[in-house]
Amino acid sequence: MNLALLGNPNTGKTSLFNNLTGSYEYVGNWSGVTVEKKIGTLKNKAGQLIDLPGIYTLNPLSKDEGVVSNFFIHDSFDGIVNIVDASQLERNLNLTIQLLEFGKPLVIGLNMNDVAKNRGIYVDEQKLSTALHVPVTSIIARTGKGCSLLRDQLANLQTIEQQPLILHYGAALEKGIEALSKLMPKQAANHFPHRWLALQFFESNQNVQDFLAAFISTETLKALYEETEQAVQKGHGVNSLSQWIYTVRRTYIDSIIEQAVDRQSAHSTNWTDRIDAVVTNKVLGLPIFLLCMLLLFKLTFDWLGTPLSDALDSFFSGPLTNWLSWILTSIGASSFIQALVLNGIISGVGGVLVFMPQIFILFFFISLLEDSGYMARVALVMDKVMESVGLNGKAFIPMIIGFGCNVPGIMAARTIEQPKERLLTILLTPLMSCSARLPVYALFVGAFFVQYQTIIVFSLYLLGIVMALLLAKLFSMTILKEEQSLFVIELPPYRLPQSKALFRSTWDKGKGFIRKAGTFIFGGSVIIWLLTYAGPHGLNVQMDDSFLALVGGFAAPLLAPLGFGTWQAGAALITGFLAKEVVVSSMNIIYHVPNVDSLQGLMATQFTPLAAFTFMVFVLLYIPCLATVGTIRKETGSAKWTYFSIIYALVLAYVLSFVIYQGGKLLGF
Amino acid sequence: MLLSELNRGEKARIVDLSRVNDMVKRRLLDLGVMEGMEIQLKERMPFKGPFMLNHGGQCLGIRHQEAVQIEIKRL
Repeated sequence: MNLALLGNPNTGKTSLFNNLTGSYEYVGNWSGVTVEKKIGTLKNKAGQLIDLPGIYTLNPLSKDEGVVSNFFIHDSFDGIVNIVDASQLERNLNLTIQLLEFGKPLVIGLNMNDVAKNRGIYVDEQKLSTALHVPVTSIIARTGKGCSLLRDQLANLQTIEQQPLILHYGAALEKGIEALSKLMPKQAANHFPHRWLALQFFESNQNVQDFLAAFISTETLKALYEETEQAVQKGHGVNSLSQWIYTVRRTYIDSIIEQAVDRQSAHSTNWTDRIDAVVTNKVLGLPIFLLCMLLLFKLTFDWLGTPLSDALDSFFSGPLTNWLSWILTSIGASSFIQALVLNGIISGVGGVLVFMPQIFILFFFISLLEDSGYMARVALVMDKVMESVGLNGKAFIPMIIGFGCNVPGIMAARTIEQPKERLLTILLTPLMSCSARLPVYALFVGAFFVQYQTIIVFSLYLLGIVMALLLAKLFSMTILKEEQSLFVIELPPYRLPQSKALFRSTWDKGKGFIRKAGTFIFGGSVIIWLLTYAGPHGLNVQMDDSFLALVGGFAAPLLAPLGFGTWQAGAALITGFLAKEVVVSSMNIIYHVPNVDSLQGLMATQFTPLAAFTFMVFVLLYIPCLATVGTIRKETGSAKWTYFSIIYALVLAYVLSFVIYQGGKLLGF
Repeated sequence: MLLSELNRGEKARIVDLSRVNDMVKRRLLDLGVMEGMEIQLKERMPFKGPFMLNHGGQCLGIRHQEAVQIEIKRL
């Protein structure tokens, strides 16, 4: 049995998914969190649950919503779990009506009854169930309360013979529906109710219109649409078909609410309003956001992250290395294997893993921003700035997520309705300094700028943002011009993040980093070490005669004007395309040192502070990593824009690094 | 009067949305905002930044450029 989970954004849908399936999925309350079609097995093994993006209606505006529309048209499933926010019943039922019109068995999980009660809204689930003719269960998705009852109902879902809900839309529209249904091929009736398709068509659902165009000529469809619209406009005095359809549904919803809801005056303080009075205050809004970001960096780098990663580093370079070398000696491993493990793998993988604490702390705070409801406020506060460069406030959310990892950041751009703004966001998110670049900064900052750690790292993050904004302006004025922009955002109530959900989502983001350490960085380290071990003249050669030196040597002359024209820097940057952390792995292997401290000592002889800063700027900008390039290709569906994202980044990195290094030299640094 | 002329904390009823851009209008409809609905201005961001509105207990943000196209009646 395949079930689809549907509901409005910010209703706790992803929490419910986790509670019903028990799988470790990504929980968040920002509407863009659910980007991929996720499938989980129900805890009672009754079937599979498909998680779909949060939507207000089946008629799509954004890419994210188009996913749902296409799912209804093309995929087969046996039933629907509809999560409904009791505190926003009118709006939520608008989707429910469309689901009921589709005619699959449906169960409602009524969430946020507590929020509703605080606002004086009492929803009687029994009466709601009677009025809608479907089972309704009260749940608290965040804690899992009521979810087992809901699961039991799901198990019986297949036995329910659900008839599509039929609302009467008035003579003019009914005539259009009937005419269109007659034009539809007979076989389609097995899969979809004709009436639902016709209604979605008249509501101007683009995906349904495209689907019908495969059976019926576009001229016929267009003529029928216009004829019906004119009749409805004349008959009911409304502006458009969609407005009329909405009005009919709304009237029906009002009658249901009349039966099932009891309103009393609210009796508790509204915390969201109180917090918003400060956090989205006209004057304080922006400073508070910047303060939050600064605090995040202070905690990640200074107060919490660095001591932890120092401790991990001394463990790797001390006990772990000794212990491994003792084992290798006692099992009689060859010197080749010993060198591979100790100089290649431990240096390469270990050198990156020591930054795990900082990365997890960063992911923790990003999850906190998402789960608390603050993220949507950031979009609001930043909208004016973003608008001035041709984007909108929502584009700032993918960018913040991009600080953790560019890949989910780029996928989060799907909630941006405007195609141009979405493409621009995808192209520019890689400029956000992701956690993989952090080990590089940590290495160089520790070697050259110990006293100014936070300021230097913060300046790099800021540089990424400033470059993204400047390029957004440039691109939106030249290659990506578009007239209308759209910014309407729902600001969900604040929620105290649940520690369980918070740790889950931190872990979900962070485990990718560990997996990467076990795959890309492990493999990369082995290859890099082999390239240093072998050379054109045989094995176990001097490092300067190795293949890696040869490869890095090609890049070196190009990099010389930027202040780091060594084959080592060239080799590190080339291998860094795999994943940015590999830059650090390469350096650890190339300089062949036992721990980060001694590497930093050695670096001081190889780079000047100015060259070190320029190197960090270059690493920040020079190319999206392999995984990010793959995601850009998938999300834009265009090879042209994928190449563009690589090339503009290379040009930008080179030009900016050149200016910084040469300019810095002129200024006497 | 226009929504943009409303002061912080004031309530109003929406009279006319017809001048608003179609996509914005659709999104507002998704959130249950249409002619005849009651709204309250929670906050307006500086430099003609977004407006924060309260509509039936839910909070939403729209741009200044849309606010100047929404006809309202102060309550």
